[in-house]
Amino acid sequence: MSSIPQTGVDTGRPLTRRYKRMAPVLRGLLWALIGYMVVDMIVAFLDPGPTHSLFNLVSLTFAWVGGVVGWTLGIGTWESVVRPAFGYPMKWKETVGWRRYFEYSTNHKVIGIQYMVSSLGGFIIAGTAAMLMRLQLMDDRMWFFPYSKYYLVTVGIHGTIMMFSVATVFMVGGLGNYLIPMMVGSNTSAFSRLSGVSVWFVPAGILTVAFSPLLGAWTTGWRGYEPLASQDGSGIIYYYLGVFILLMSSLIVAANLVATIVFRRAPGLTWNRLPMYAWGMLAVSFLNLIWIPEIMMTFVMALLDKIVPLPMFQSTGSPLVYLQMFWLFGHPEVYIVVVPALALWMEIIPVMGRKTLFARQWGVIGLVFVMLLSGMVWAHHLFPTQQNATILPFSFFTEMISIPTGFAFMVSIGTMWKSKMRLNTPSILIMMSMFNFLIGGLTGVFLADPAVNMQLHDTFFVVGHFHYTIIGGMVFSSFAAMYYYLPKFSGRMYNEKWAQLGVYWIFLAFNATFFQFFILGLRGMNRWVPVYPAYLRAQNFEVSIFAFLLGFGFLYNIIYIIYVWRRGEKVDENPWQSKTLEWTTSSPPADISFEEIPTVTEGFYDYSDGVSTES
Amino acid sequence: MKDAVKFGVIWVILSAILEWCVYLVRHMFYTTATIQAVDGQHAADFIFYVVTPIFAFVVLMLIFGFTQFRRRRNDKGGNSPHQFRTNRAFVGIWIGVSLVVNLFLFVHPTASAMENYWNQSVEYQKSPNLLVVDVYARQWQWMYSYPQYGIANAVNSAGNGELVLPVDRPVQFVLRSYDFNHYYDVEADVIHSFWIPAFGWKTDVIPGETRYEYAYPTELGSTAENQMFRVQCAEVCGPGHPYMYTGMKVVTASQFSAWIQKQKKLQSSS
Repeated sequence: MSSIPQTGVDTGRPLTRRYKRMAPVLRGLLWALIGYMVVDMIVAFLDPGPTHSLFNLVSLTFAWVGGVVGWTLGIGTWESVVRPAFGYPMKWKETVGWRRYFEYSTNHKVIGIQYMVSSLGGFIIAGTAAMLMRLQLMDDRMWFFPYSKYYLVTVGIHGTIMMFSVATVFMVGGLGNYLIPMMVGSNTSAFSRLSGVSVWFVPAGILTVAFSPLLGAWTTGWRGYEPLASQDGSGIIYYYLGVFILLMSSLIVAANLVATIVFRRAPGLTWNRLPMYAWGMLAVSFLNLIWIPEIMMTFVMALLDKIVPLPMFQSTGSPLVYLQMFWLFGHPEVYIVVVPALALWMEIIPVMGRKTLFARQWGVIGLVFVMLLSGMVWAHHLFPTQQNATILPFSFFTEMISIPTGFAFMVSIGTMWKSKMRLNTPSILIMMSMFNFLIGGLTGVFLADPAVNMQLHDTFFVVGHFHYTIIGGMVFSSFAAMYYYLPKFSGRMYNEKWAQLGVYWIFLAFNATFFQFFILGLRGMNRWVPVYPAYLRAQNFEVSIFAFLLGFGFLYNIIYIIYVWRRGEKVDENPWQSKTLEWTTSSPPADISFEEIPTVTEGFYDYSDGVSTES
Repeated sequence: MKDAVKFGVIWVILSAILEWCVYLVRHMFYTTATIQAVDGQHAADFIFYVVTPIFAFVVLMLIFGFTQFRRRRNDKGGNSPHQFRTNRAFVGIWIGVSLVVNLFLFVHPTASAMENYWNQSVEYQKSPNLLVVDVYARQWQWMYSYPQYGIANAVNSAGNGELVLPVDRPVQFVLRSYDFNHYYDVEADVIHSFWIPAFGWKTDVIPGETRYEYAYPTELGSTAENQMFRVQCAEVCGPGHPYMYTGMKVVTASQFSAWIQKQKKLQSSS
């Protein structure tokens, strides 16, 4: 029985009719441009100060809202959401074929792929920014960028787009939207229309941030630190707005995933049987629901501080308030990034090892406690900033959070013990991810210690540490997920030899690059500098070479995955003999995943069938 | 059981080898020119020794996953013959050890090093020998004044700000973001961070607030000889951030008094 809601009224007319209108992406861009210009003119007209130009900070802020509204309507929500809301007959109908990926859709699989592709776009833009940074750092003087502010805005764009459109989005908005409804045995996500709108915020946000330097370079990095931001180039307003809309998208994803997991589970899918990745998505979505509104409001305040302007975060106000409010979100953000990766380890290892998941309840407890504790550690980002007397409690919780994080290792290791591990690309990537994240975590123990932190803070040691957690944890796990689910998404299988080539390539290049960041930091290389003392030049030069190799390695894997998706060898529906529900559908899944909603009678990670169990 | 024993033996050997490597590379702060830097170095060493067996444990598990527990090429069979949902002893030990290790690390070196550091600063404040240096950070320069000696702005021969400290004498840095040369503009300044890599710490300079930092230099050195002796802004503060550094020196007491005399002469002549 299908439970797809009837979103469209079938008028009986042939589908081809609707292609007479402009392609949705083009129309979205056109409407965005119109909305942008019209709103800008209206505001400039209403607020005709003698010092105001036609484009001033206030009018550009409102113009941006007009642009995003135009983009969202143009992409298809005008016919499908707005007009029906006012009682006009719904003329919109879900498209078929490749075009459906380039317009509004309510199908969670289409939306998932849209999120993944947008996120991939962000990864390539921000990755290119990283390559430009490494190019500049090959020499100790300004040579690639004309002024240091262009280097600093590149750092900011790299960090902002990576965090808010890749790290927060790929595994949650992308994989989560695609997989979670199937994992819980539902044919739709809970808020499929809202979700269809929110995915289009991602490209809008990425482009807003990427083009922000046109208004003036901002130098604050991804954190928008005050009071620097209030005197920085005007492009900072599009940093706030771009991040705002990206976070809005993630917030909707979170609401959608929580509602889907809570209310759309198939009969018999109790909490004790819920797949690990679904638990991960639930924990992450609660984190998003708690902390994203907080940072969105902070950014609204910072935006007002800039455009009104107000002195909230200057020395007459309190510069520290912004910093505290940023990291109050900023640290949970780190776990928003990593929790899906931890969940994925526990999802894939039992399948590849053909062995029952070890100590499942502790894995779930770990995810939930990471979620709870992550709100209590934020000020460790401020150890040199805050007064020394306030450091210790945050140091305490920072050290304690390693305990629930460690449970993910315990479960993964316990499952691996005496398994029959199939050493293929996904499982190798998972083990690499564990190795990298282990280094990221253990270097975090050094940073949690205030006496050590006071030396290492704001140096490349910290940069190395968080790249080990985020690339090492999240990006490697995302590639594992892509190779693991390729047969699901496309019905095609990669070639072990070519895939493993790419995987070992990125592993070696990643470690060669970022392990040296620790040494650079210890040798006195500080952050946010395009020029640095000459004694660090040789090592920076050589690190850049490895960084370029890493960049090409990622590119190789991305191209190879796309190639297999299109041209790979056809494969069975469930090549890994996985037991979770998403593998009981056809590969690739039909529009309606489950012709009949399945009934779950047991957990998905029990491999004791046909084996005499040990105690 | 055979696997467990094998694992245990290799783990002990691997940990011992890695601990030995840590012993070889343990001086990871490169230059430790103050008591505070040495204390930080000791804390870092201690943590390094504690986390190394943990690192060895997980990495060895991953290696076992790659070797011992991998599916053999000709093995077309199904599930692993060893199936268990949990192991109370393993889970109990894991949780117990991770609790103990973390609580222990919090007590030492985290809390102990901080207590040590606070005690040192209290002791230095009482010392009649304390040297007070007012440090002004603004976009994008450092300025140093020595109120005890009436030196308002210490400069080198090129006229750039220069920090000169005597060895074996406690120093109090008073960190502010306004200075005597400019009227105070509330919009003007941003957060900076006062960092001397060889001193093992950094402290942010917050507009509108005054911060204190203490050091007890124990080694002679200068920027010209070792770039770890330099004052570097460590918090991004705008386009001039990478250029916000000055040279510094740690000199003997007699060199210091000679330098003070020179600065005084320089000031009276200007």
